[in-house]
Amino acid sequence: MSIKTDILVIGAGPAGSSAAKHAALNDAKVLMIDKKSEIGSPKRCAEGVSKEGLKALGIEPHCKWIAKELTGVKFISPNGTSVWLNEERVKLPEAGYILERKIFDKHMAMNAARAGVEIMVKTIATGLKRSEEGLIITAECMDQSFEINAKIVIAADGPESRVGRWAGLKTTLKPKNMESCAQFEMAGVEMEDSNSIEFYFGSVAPGGYAWIFPKGDDIANVGLGIITTQTDKTAYEHLLEFVSNCPSTQNAQPVELNIGGDPVGGMLKKLVTDNLVLVGDSASQVSPLTGGGIISAMKAGVFAGEVTAAAIKEGNYSQKRLKEYQDKCEEEMVKTFNKELKVKNYLLSLSDEELDSIAKAFKNTEFEKINTKEIIKVLIKVSPKALLKLGKIF
Amino acid sequence: MKVNEWCMYCGECAGVCPRSLIEVRETCLIFNENECKDCRICIQVCPVQALYKEE
Repeated sequence: MSIKTDILVIGAGPAGSSAAKHAALNDAKVLMIDKKSEIGSPKRCAEGVSKEGLKALGIEPHCKWIAKELTGVKFISPNGTSVWLNEERVKLPEAGYILERKIFDKHMAMNAARAGVEIMVKTIATGLKRSEEGLIITAECMDQSFEINAKIVIAADGPESRVGRWAGLKTTLKPKNMESCAQFEMAGVEMEDSNSIEFYFGSVAPGGYAWIFPKGDDIANVGLGIITTQTDKTAYEHLLEFVSNCPSTQNAQPVELNIGGDPVGGMLKKLVTDNLVLVGDSASQVSPLTGGGIISAMKAGVFAGEVTAAAIKEGNYSQKRLKEYQDKCEEEMVKTFNKELKVKNYLLSLSDEELDSIAKAFKNTEFEKINTKEIIKVLIKVSPKALLKLGKIF
Repeated sequence: MKVNEWCMYCGECAGVCPRSLIEVRETCLIFNENECKDCRICIQVCPVQALYKEE
């Protein structure tokens, strides 16, 4: 069996579905494959998105895939001191939502299908070779092996992407750039405010942070990400410790375990080659600070869909033509990611005691009235050396 | 490379394999053992310690 298509999208997560939909809307013949039998499951994500991000993508929130609307955020230092930003204390510019990813991802794939995308599930790409017309992807679905001839491939196959590597792109991540994550979805979580997300910093999660993201009155994603070069324990072991020590989870029980890697080293330098582009986690289009990547992946998906469809119309699938996609992603993301990397490096350079001092200093701050100069004054007191890492961010 | 029963096929191992030798399927991992240089980065990053090398 052999299939011919203009554009093959490999991976039906938010990046892949977004790319596929926008390529189809721009008149390309699109096939999207996913190795899983159920798109969106299992989730590998804390499921948070910003309202602003969804709005920018023109996606109307839908009660089927919004688990919780957020109105606040709480930062908790190692000794339990919390700084709580909610609507009573500060005007939060458009907070966010916690999604139900299993439904959201399917919903996005369904929208792609409605735009004309052909979808094959339980279908895995096993190899890639070049032909005169484009790329030939070898694939398997159940007991069938076959080839897919595509003029352009959009690789949306996650942080473990092999498709990009087959085409000669460097997608391999160093362990220091891959956050190792473990998360329970739990019931019986006792939250002070079930509309606020909570971030826990310090040695509780070496190289990262722990989180409680509410999905219901007593339901939450409780998880953490670590950098494995900074600890001898696994992410799962750190998670067990966190759950056992955190006051909010003393009476909570897990109903689901999620694990996975999050590429937090900043966007890859090269996203395109002849006949192929990388999107989403496979391109490390993830916030280095928060590890969030749904919105950036979908924005990149829009760019990838539009640029590749235009390239198909022009009959030019060269790296030079597809570079427009990379330029758009750089303009949209790189400046922000670079700033976030600085903030992350600053936070990670602080000891538990220093984090406690910062939390104490800001605990009762009136954030509406504080300015950058006053924030810097506090940070200088805590650790002038560490502050240098922030450089020109302010 | 041996894979414990509790592997969840998250693919983190494949993402860091410097030689791209790990294929992650829905419910199995396939290692190209012949090319493996025994760096063990895959073992180090696994969030649930599902991988081990038989000595």
